[in-house]
Amino acid sequence: MLGNAGYLLHRARKRAGIIINRAADYAMFTGFVLIAGIGTSWYMVDTGSGLTTERVGPWVTWLSAARADADPYTRAHFARAGTLPMSTEATQTLVSRYDDGGSRLHSSCEYVVKGHDIAGSWWSIAVFDDDGRVISNPAERYAFTSDTIALKPNGEYAVTLARDARPGNWLPTGGAGRLALTLTIVDLGLGSSEKDREEEKNPIPSIEQVACR
Amino acid sequence: MPIAVKDVLSRLPRVKFRVIVTAILATVILHILTTLAAPRLAPSPAYGRLVKLLPVNAMKVLPPIAPGAQPLPFMGPDSRYAMCLFDTTKGSVRVTATLPGAGWSLSVFSDKGDSVYTSVAQPGRRTDVSLRLSTSDGKFAGLTPEAAGQAIQEDRSLSLSVKRGVAILRAPDQGNAYGALNEAELKRALCSVTGKVAEAR
Repeated sequence: MLGNAGYLLHRARKRAGIIINRAADYAMFTGFVLIAGIGTSWYMVDTGSGLTTERVGPWVTWLSAARADADPYTRAHFARAGTLPMSTEATQTLVSRYDDGGSRLHSSCEYVVKGHDIAGSWWSIAVFDDDGRVISNPAERYAFTSDTIALKPNGEYAVTLARDARPGNWLPTGGAGRLALTLTIVDLGLGSSEKDREEEKNPIPSIEQVACR
Repeated sequence: MPIAVKDVLSRLPRVKFRVIVTAILATVILHILTTLAAPRLAPSPAYGRLVKLLPVNAMKVLPPIAPGAQPLPFMGPDSRYAMCLFDTTKGSVRVTATLPGAGWSLSVFSDKGDSVYTSVAQPGRRTDVSLRLSTSDGKFAGLTPEAAGQAIQEDRSLSLSVKRGVAILRAPDQGNAYGALNEAELKRALCSVTGKVAEAR
C-alpha cells in the first residue's frame, strides 16, 4: 500500500517537474521576445540608429523628420515627443543634450557654444529644459537667430549658456536642471560654388564646458 | 571538431533550432508592431494638444513663445507662429499665406503628425502660397511651384489622405524692429472652409 503511494508521489513529482520546466521554458521564451522586441523598438524610436539619425559631435539630427516618406521610427519618435518639427526637405534641426566632453548639459554648469555664421542659411540656437520647455528668465531670452546674434567681424560667434548674466550672446539657463540645445538651419536654396563649399567652415558649433558649481 | 569542444558543447543546454528561429521571428514581429503602434500610444501627441488651444478652420496668431505660452515641446522661441487646425469633412479648406523673406515657412501636418507639405521662403522674394485642402484621393508630393519661387497661376490643390490636421505659418525672429511687421504678415494669413464636399465621398 505504502509502496504504491510512494510510486504515485514519485510520478506526481516527476510530472510537476516536467510542467515546471516547460513553464520555465515558455517564460524564458516570452521574456526574451518581450524584452528584445520592445527594447529594440524603444531604443530605435528614442535614440535612433545610423539609419535614421546623423550624429555630429554631441549633436543629433533625425534624417527624415517631418517628411512625407519618413520611416516608422522617425514618425514614432516625434509622435512620442509631441512635437511638429520642420521638414528636413528644407531645414535641419539638431539637438544636443551633451557637451563636447560627453557630459550631460546642466544648468549648474556654464558653457560656451562656438560656431560660424552659416552662409546661405537662416539659423537659430535655442535652449530648453530636458522636456523641451523654454526656461523662464527675467531677460526673456530663449534663443538667438542669424538675425539677432552678435557676430564677430570674421563671422564667428560665441553663445554663453549660464545661470547668471554674461556679456555678449548670453542664454540664461536658470535652475532648469538638465538642458537641451537645438540648432535649426533653414536652407535658403541659394546654392554655393564648389570653391565656397571648400572654404565653408563646419557649421555645427562646439559646446565647451567652462565651469560647474 | 576536437573531442574537447564536442564534450563542452554536449554539456550545454540544448536549445532547439526551431525554438531559436521562432524566438527571432516573434521578436521581429513584436518589434514591428510596437514601432507601428508607438505613434498611437503616444501619451500626448501634438495634434491632441493643439485641439485644446485652437479654433477649427481659422488661422490664429499665437503669442510669442514664452514659459507658460508654449503649445508644444521644443517649439522654437526663435519664431512667431500662426496656426490653423483644419477639418475638411465639411468642405475643402483654403489656406493662403505670404512668405515675405528668409526663415519664413508654411507647413501642413496631418492629425497623426505626418508632414504633408512644406514651403520655405527664399531671401529677397515674396512667396505667395495658396493651398486647398480636401479629402480627395489625388496625391501630392514635394514642393509646389510657388514654393520654388514661381508665380501662382491658379489655385493648387493639396489632397490629403486624412481629414484633419494643422497648418503652421512660421515667422523668424528678426529682432524687435521687425516684430510688428512680422505679426501683421502673420495676421494676413487665412484659413477657411471654401466649399461643400460631395456627398458621394
